[in-house]
Amino acid sequence: MLADGERILSCLALAVQYQDRSITTIEGLSEDGRLHPLQQAFIEHDGFQCGYCTPGQICSAIGMAAEVRRGVPSHVTGDLAGAAIQLTHDELRERMSGNLCRCGAYNGIVEAITEVFVEVAR
Amino acid sequence: MNLFTYSRAATASDAVQLAADPNSKFLGGGTNLVDLMRETLERPEVLVDVTTLSSSIEELNSGGLLIGAAARNTAVAENRIVRAQYPVLARAILAGASAQIRNMATVGGNILQRTRCTYFYDDDGARCNKRSPGQGCDAREGFNRYHAILGASSSCVATHPSDMCVALAALDATVHLRSAGGERKVSFVDIHRLPEEHPERETNLHPGELVTAVELPPVAFAKNSTYRKVRDRASFAFALVSVAAALDVEDGVVRDVRLALGGVAHKPWRARKAEAALRGQPAQETTFRAAAEAELADARPLQHNGFKVELAVRTIAAVLAELSEAQA
Repeated sequence: MLADGERILSCLALAVQYQDRSITTIEGLSEDGRLHPLQQAFIEHDGFQCGYCTPGQICSAIGMAAEVRRGVPSHVTGDLAGAAIQLTHDELRERMSGNLCRCGAYNGIVEAITEVFVEVAR
Repeated sequence: MNLFTYSRAATASDAVQLAADPNSKFLGGGTNLVDLMRETLERPEVLVDVTTLSSSIEELNSGGLLIGAAARNTAVAENRIVRAQYPVLARAILAGASAQIRNMATVGGNILQRTRCTYFYDDDGARCNKRSPGQGCDAREGFNRYHAILGASSSCVATHPSDMCVALAALDATVHLRSAGGERKVSFVDIHRLPEEHPERETNLHPGELVTAVELPPVAFAKNSTYRKVRDRASFAFALVSVAAALDVEDGVVRDVRLALGGVAHKPWRARKAEAALRGQPAQETTFRAAAEAELADARPLQHNGFKVELAVRTIAAVLAELSEAQA
C-alpha cells in the first residue's frame, strides 16, 4: 500500500503509527469508475493468475515509479552519482523484487509496468 | 492477547522518560519489532514511537556526516553526500530487504534488529539460548547453512542480519546514545556483542538507552568503497557472506583500507587482521587473498556452512581487486 504516496508493507505496519497519514490501497486507484492505467495494463498483459499478489504488485509499482522519478538508486544502479535513473529491465526487476508472485506471472507483470511507466516516459 | 500502550515521543528526552518502564521498547519503522511482537517473541507493555525524532542528515564542520536515528533507510541511501562520499553505505542499504521495507525501516531500528535464525523464531519446536537463556541451542547441530563461522560460542551461532551495519563497521562510525543519565558516544564496532555465554545480550546499550544518531567520520578514501553481498537469490534475501570495503592505493601500494564482513558472525565483523595484512603491501591479487585468509584463519565452520570460509576469502579478494582497479 501507499502511505503519503510512498510504498510500504501493510503487514509490518502498526496501524496506530499511521494515524493522520494519507493511505492508498488498491481500492483507491480507480477514478470515476475507470481503472488506473496500470490496473488496465495488468489485465491486458495477464499480469496475474490467482490475483492474490496483484494489489501489492500494482501499489508497489506506482510507488516505485515515484522513486525512479525522484532519482532513488537501486542495488543494480551502476553509477550512484548519476543524475537520472533509467528504468531498464534489470532496474525494474530489482525494484519490484519485494513483491513475490507464486503463480509466476512475472513476465506479464514486467510487461504491464513497462507499458505504463517506461514507454510513457519515452 | 498482549496489551501494550503506545505513545509518540516529541523529543529524545521525552522518549527516554516514556521508556522508563523496564518492559518498554522504542519503536522505529516496526519492520522487525512488529513481526517479533506478532510472533510473541517480544511482548513489550509500553511502545514509544521514536520515528518523530531527528531524521536529518547533516554535514558536520569536522567533515563528517551526522545521520538522525529516525532517518529511513531509503533516505540515507538516496542522500547525495552518502552516495558521493560513502558509496559503501548506500550500496549496503540498497542490498538489504526490499524497497518497501527500506522505506519503513529507520537507521536506529536497523542497528537494533534481531537475528533471523530460524531456531530463534521457532519457539514451539526449538531450543534457543537467545530466546530462553540456558535452554540450549538447536542451531549448532541443526540446519546451520546461514549461521556464524567467526566469533560464535557453544551458546549461540546466530548471525547479525544487517547489511547497513557492515558498512558502518567498516567506516568507523560512532553511535550517539541518550538515557536518563545523559548522553554518550560509542564506537559502532562496540555496539554489538559476541554471544559468549549470554547471547540474549546483543548490544552494549544500557537498559532504556536510545540511539539518537550515527556519526560518520571524514574518510577521504571512502569515495572508493563498495559493498558486495553474496546470497541464495539475487535480491530480497539475507547474506550468506557480504563484504564492505574502502581502499586507498598509491603507486601500487595499499596506503589504507577498511574492511568488514556480514553474514559470518553475531555482529558486523570488522576485519582488522586483514587490514593489518594489507597496509603497506602491493595492491595485487596474492596480497588480497593472503589478507583474506589471515582474517578467516580463526573461522570455525559448522556442519552446513563450511563453504562460507572460502566464499568469504574469495569475496574479499574480489572486492579489493575491484576497488584497486577503480582507483588505478
